[in-house]
Amino acid sequence: MSQEDKVTPQPWDGQPYSVKRHGVTLTNCDSEPVQTPGCVQAHGAMLVLRPADLTILQASENTDRLLGHPAESLLNKPVRAAIGLDGEATLKAFFATEPTDHNPLYVFTLPAQGDVPPLDVTAHTIDGVAVVEFEATGRTKAGEPDYYALVKKTVARLQTARTLQEFCDLTAADFRTLTGLDRVMIYKFHADGHGEVVAESKRDDLDPWLGLHYPAEDIPQPAREVFKKVWIRPTPDVAGALAEMVPLTNPQSGRPLTMTFCALRGVSVMYTEYLKNMKVTAGLTLPIRQGNDLWGLIAGHHYAGPKFVPYQVRAACEFLAQVVSLQYQAAEEREHLVYRLKLDGTHQQLVAKAAQNGLAILTDGQPNLLDGMAAGGAALYHLNRWWRVGNTPNETELEGLGEWLNDRPEFTSLTSPHYVTDSLARDYPPAAAFGDVASGLLAVPLSRTNRNLMLWFRPETMRTVNWGGNPHDKPTVPGPNGPRLTPRRSFELFQESVRGRSVPWLTVELDSAVRLRMLIMELVVSRSERLADLNADLTRSNEELDAFAYVASHDLKEPLRGIHKYAHQLLEDAAGKDGEHRKKVEGLMRLTVRMDSLLDSLLHFSRVGRAVLQTEDTDLNEVVNESIEMVDARRAEGSMEIAVPRPLPHARCDRVRCREIFVNLLSNALKYNDQPQKRVEVGFIAPDEDHPRPGCPDGSADLTIYYVRDNGIGIAARYFEQVFKMFKRLHGRDEYGGGTGAGLTIVQKLVERHHGHVWLDSTLGVGSTFYFTLSSREGA
Amino acid sequence: MLWTQQPSYMLVVIEDSDEDFDTVVEAVKRSEVTTKVRRAISGEAELEILRELATDRAVLVLMDLNTPGTDGREALAVLKTDPALNSIPVVVFSTSANPKDVWLCYAAGANAYHVKPVRYPDHLQLVIDLVGYWFGRVTLNTVGTTNL
Repeated sequence: MSQEDKVTPQPWDGQPYSVKRHGVTLTNCDSEPVQTPGCVQAHGAMLVLRPADLTILQASENTDRLLGHPAESLLNKPVRAAIGLDGEATLKAFFATEPTDHNPLYVFTLPAQGDVPPLDVTAHTIDGVAVVEFEATGRTKAGEPDYYALVKKTVARLQTARTLQEFCDLTAADFRTLTGLDRVMIYKFHADGHGEVVAESKRDDLDPWLGLHYPAEDIPQPAREVFKKVWIRPTPDVAGALAEMVPLTNPQSGRPLTMTFCALRGVSVMYTEYLKNMKVTAGLTLPIRQGNDLWGLIAGHHYAGPKFVPYQVRAACEFLAQVVSLQYQAAEEREHLVYRLKLDGTHQQLVAKAAQNGLAILTDGQPNLLDGMAAGGAALYHLNRWWRVGNTPNETELEGLGEWLNDRPEFTSLTSPHYVTDSLARDYPPAAAFGDVASGLLAVPLSRTNRNLMLWFRPETMRTVNWGGNPHDKPTVPGPNGPRLTPRRSFELFQESVRGRSVPWLTVELDSAVRLRMLIMELVVSRSERLADLNADLTRSNEELDAFAYVASHDLKEPLRGIHKYAHQLLEDAAGKDGEHRKKVEGLMRLTVRMDSLLDSLLHFSRVGRAVLQTEDTDLNEVVNESIEMVDARRAEGSMEIAVPRPLPHARCDRVRCREIFVNLLSNALKYNDQPQKRVEVGFIAPDEDHPRPGCPDGSADLTIYYVRDNGIGIAARYFEQVFKMFKRLHGRDEYGGGTGAGLTIVQKLVERHHGHVWLDSTLGVGSTFYFTLSSREGA
Repeated sequence: MLWTQQPSYMLVVIEDSDEDFDTVVEAVKRSEVTTKVRRAISGEAELEILRELATDRAVLVLMDLNTPGTDGREALAVLKTDPALNSIPVVVFSTSANPKDVWLCYAAGANAYHVKPVRYPDHLQLVIDLVGYWFGRVTLNTVGTTNL
């Protein structure tokens, strides 16, 4: 309703409203006082009484025909003037005992008088008056069907409906059986107020209206408000006359009668015109409510003249409408239960998988984010990148969308942060470019700090809406008080395509997405806790291991020295004995010496692990020169050459440890070398250099890589890992100058202490190259 | 255990390994120095011995770092902070080549630090050299603080 309507004086201003007099002067349905029409439908009669003494205050102008007394003659008379003494007594007792306020109930049946059929008398109180309605009972001689049995059967069937469609179909069919109307429709209101026929039961010869949509204006707002209060609205004779109340307002209060709860309430002219335009001759409408909201209507139409649905049947219908309203939610839950179970099952599997392999797995393999949700694509923003599955916008588009989403106020909700739409481009215009894959979006944030997101996309559905007539066609005709809106005349099928929209998201899907978010967040929290625990354990056990190696080596050395000493003494004692004996004792001594050097290596290794690094800006050329000098001193015979083809860069490292790395690599390069001309090259590969980096581990390619290359014996690829193992030797103990086999282990440890990596590339008989880095990407 | 040759020198050996102590005794025997040798197997015993000793003798302490009870490091610290004892030179004998141990000992006042060799002949020769140096070449303090 526009502002204009509120300030424009209504045509009946200054006098009480009567739909009979003023109905056609309306300019807009939404301003019609439908609850105080001042008239009743003329097939019945009405008396308004003062509750205290049941004196007649108002009467419908047609009492003469139905009750045998003109309205004027009844005014200010006791009600017995109209219904006799017995009737008055019954009514008095009724008001004294029944909960009548806003609650019309059957009181008794007034017997037939002359050509007037027996009349059902119903009564209720409202605004301090008693309202008594008279209607033909509509009973036939054939006797009444057992309404109770019919309703009971319907209720039982509704409870077993497996789908909402089945539920609605059943409702329509049973209402038609109960009322005998030509057509019963289940009319559902969409979010924007327009209605759709979702189920229909009709006489075979009628055109089906199932699936047709009707504009919101077809059921004006005042009518919708009434359906939140009453359970039934009969219009038994669309062409029937209206009978005005005499007088039009309450003579005591001067107020018009509120007819909200009256079965006889006078019908809006707009409404009857509308029905007439649809060739409807009688109507019966009941609401389907969800809590305080009007979900839809059970709309009954009749085309073969008036159709009086008697009070008894209407009561059964009312009861059924209430049952349908209550059962609808249960039916919806039943239908969604299966889907919900499937979604939750898939999501639990996903979380279990993610617990093993990390969140990135959500878009990879089976199941993934698409297996639960009915969506065309899904994307995850995690670890500073997008992970996609199915049809999604491209990464650039996702970047923009992600940025926009992260600022959405919906994401700040503590209980259920999510953003959902079936027409993304309406909120986020750039989405028009990728409407084909993402007109629908369901988004949940995973972490506010990392701006992590989980998204599902739905493609645009070129939906064709079948309108019952052109909804954009709002014909107006000039009336005595200006242009007047008339009810639609055309109900010809009008097709309209809806663009930029996807199938709407269900509450089930939304709930499940939010639950999945909770599960993932719990997982992330427990993962980080577990990682912290593991790290603490690891640090502790590393420290313990180092301390153990240190202590053990020391304690082992003590007895070793003793063994060596006794062996030595044995050897002296055995001076004169045979060679065999001497050899054994010499062997014993040699072993103790070897054991000693192993223990020294172990000790050294444990020290490498524990010592604090003294990192400083270091000229690696100096370090390499010192290393060469140290290795030089140990050089074996043969010609050799250590080349540094170009100056090495500076690096942040511990000078002493770094020298140890080079000394170990250089001495290995010379030691495991049987070439007559031993050649070793020390060099580096700069981060931006175009140069092969064989075996380079992930994340090291963009760091400065140092290398020591030799033309030695080489190492078979299967030993590339093993050479770094403690005391692992690939050759006989005394070949290639012996050694404990700890050198490369210590190199690896030293490199790791610098957060770097060490690896090698080698060809048997050609030579080996050992590569290492001195920092990680984070620490660079 | 007492070893009587010439009363003017006293070598106090803190050593819990019998083999290593025998090596010391053997080395002293082969050296050209005559000295009494006393053994303590713990830091506490060593301190007791030193406090008993008349301080007018030239005393040298040969100390193994890893001994039961009060370990060598602690005994060294106590000895070097005791005004009655801190003039006694202490030669540390250890299995450890750890630079941290070396630093600790010198910082605590050790007069020399040796890593025990595993080869018996080397071990023996080291002690012979050591005894020869400290009792033959070095001038040791013979004045007890009480006499000053």
